[in-house]
Amino acid sequence: MDRNRKILISIFALLILSVMLAIIDISIKVQDDRDRDHRGMPFRTGPGVGIVRVEGPISIKSRSGPFDLSAGSESIVKRLDELSRNSSIKAIVLRINSPGGTVASVQEIYHKLWKIRKRNIPLIASMGDIATSGGYYIASACNLIFANYGTVTGSIGVIALSPNMKGLFEKLGIKMNVIKSGNYKDIMSSHRDLTKDESELLQEMIDTSYRRFLKDVALGRNQGISDIEPYADGRILNGETAQKLKLVDTIGTFDDAVDKAREMAKLDENSPVYDEYLTPFQQVLMSLDTMVRFGSTIKEGMDGGSAFTLEYRYRP
Amino acid sequence: MTISGFKSLKWADPFLYAATDPRGLFRHISLKENRSICLSFIVPAAVALTEILAFSILGRETGFFHYKITYGLILAFLFIVFKTVVSAALMDSIGQFLGCSGRISETLCILNYSLLPKCLLLPLVYIFKTVNFAPLFFYAFFTMALFARSAYTAIQGLSEMHTIHFSRALLIYLSPGILFAVFILFISFLAVICGIGFIAG
Repeated sequence: MDRNRKILISIFALLILSVMLAIIDISIKVQDDRDRDHRGMPFRTGPGVGIVRVEGPISIKSRSGPFDLSAGSESIVKRLDELSRNSSIKAIVLRINSPGGTVASVQEIYHKLWKIRKRNIPLIASMGDIATSGGYYIASACNLIFANYGTVTGSIGVIALSPNMKGLFEKLGIKMNVIKSGNYKDIMSSHRDLTKDESELLQEMIDTSYRRFLKDVALGRNQGISDIEPYADGRILNGETAQKLKLVDTIGTFDDAVDKAREMAKLDENSPVYDEYLTPFQQVLMSLDTMVRFGSTIKEGMDGGSAFTLEYRYRP
Repeated sequence: MTISGFKSLKWADPFLYAATDPRGLFRHISLKENRSICLSFIVPAAVALTEILAFSILGRETGFFHYKITYGLILAFLFIVFKTVVSAALMDSIGQFLGCSGRISETLCILNYSLLPKCLLLPLVYIFKTVNFAPLFFYAFFTMALFARSAYTAIQGLSEMHTIHFSRALLIYLSPGILFAVFILFISFLAVICGIGFIAG
């Protein structure tokens, strides 16, 4: 009986905790809405501008599972799809803060944006701290690109990395037994040097992806490949230089991009902005998720990366 | 209540019975009627709070939430208590009509404690809201499921109190709802006839 009483008290404690959490959660939401009101962005409905955020390295893997946290090309494409189907969304601003990502994931986002652009929904890219390589690739699908003076952009190119630990293996006396069905089956293995044939094969893959990159950027920017190629050697640029080289249209902030989107969609200057919304509780989970991802990035760096991938990514 | 009495956790017994042994709940109430009836009103207050919060987390809240969680909470609590008192009175009257003895305070106590499972609505809905998995569906589902559990507790308690079969207790439990439904149907019927008469005249 005494044990049951204690269990019941524990359930009561959990109930009280959930009540407190709910009150805090809702109160923060209410406060957020009030802050938005004070910033002149009251919660309204009607025609407006949709915001899509591209944060961090891009990969296919969607992490929108249990906590509905958007990252990864699948969730970005899903968000774009939702906005393009919504009749209230008259323009989309793509906020990019990414060094790029895997080739396939970047191309998926690019093609989704291109489809939206074909439907005459104005697309504006707004670059944050960084929009390099794949980040620039997807920006090029937009009608206009806004960057800040200090935005790091450019880095047009493809990269594939794999550590060569042959020396270390030899030092430790470790030998790998490899039984393979073809010459190239263990390409990019870390326990041996790359052969000439393998190097040529990889170079061809990289060159093909690079040509696709150039072609798509040229198409998105309404320029010839020859106009872009001189700067497409992997160099990084700041926003100002990128504008001079016509890789960026305008120097401006995120707010400027939103205003331009309204103008292009012929919307009222106070028309609503539909940003991605996370509840305060989800924001806490998002920050935890970021910490976990930061930890796994360090681990990945120490491991030298377990999987070989081609990337449109700036890797300093 | 002394500190040692509080520490012994015996005050939690009626809640424990309501959750695990509805028949034991009545036996406990009949032993400590005065104390139990006062304590039982904690349950409608908790239910009012959890229902308001469960409903609020599903939607987009405005500053109205602060009114809802203060004045609205008192209003919801009074409404639940009023509903329970009226239901208890009707159940007791019908019980007497069916040959049972009149025990309104114990009926009220049982009905109050039987609401206890509804307190779980908030944590259950909160989980599905947080993982964003069909929260509205689960809100409706858990509301119905917890109502069913709450009704089961009340019916078992009534059955034990009047020493009657479960089906008879079920009839007593449903009677206020049936009466109310008949009343509404009758009023609607008369209103429609009057409306037709007004248009025809």
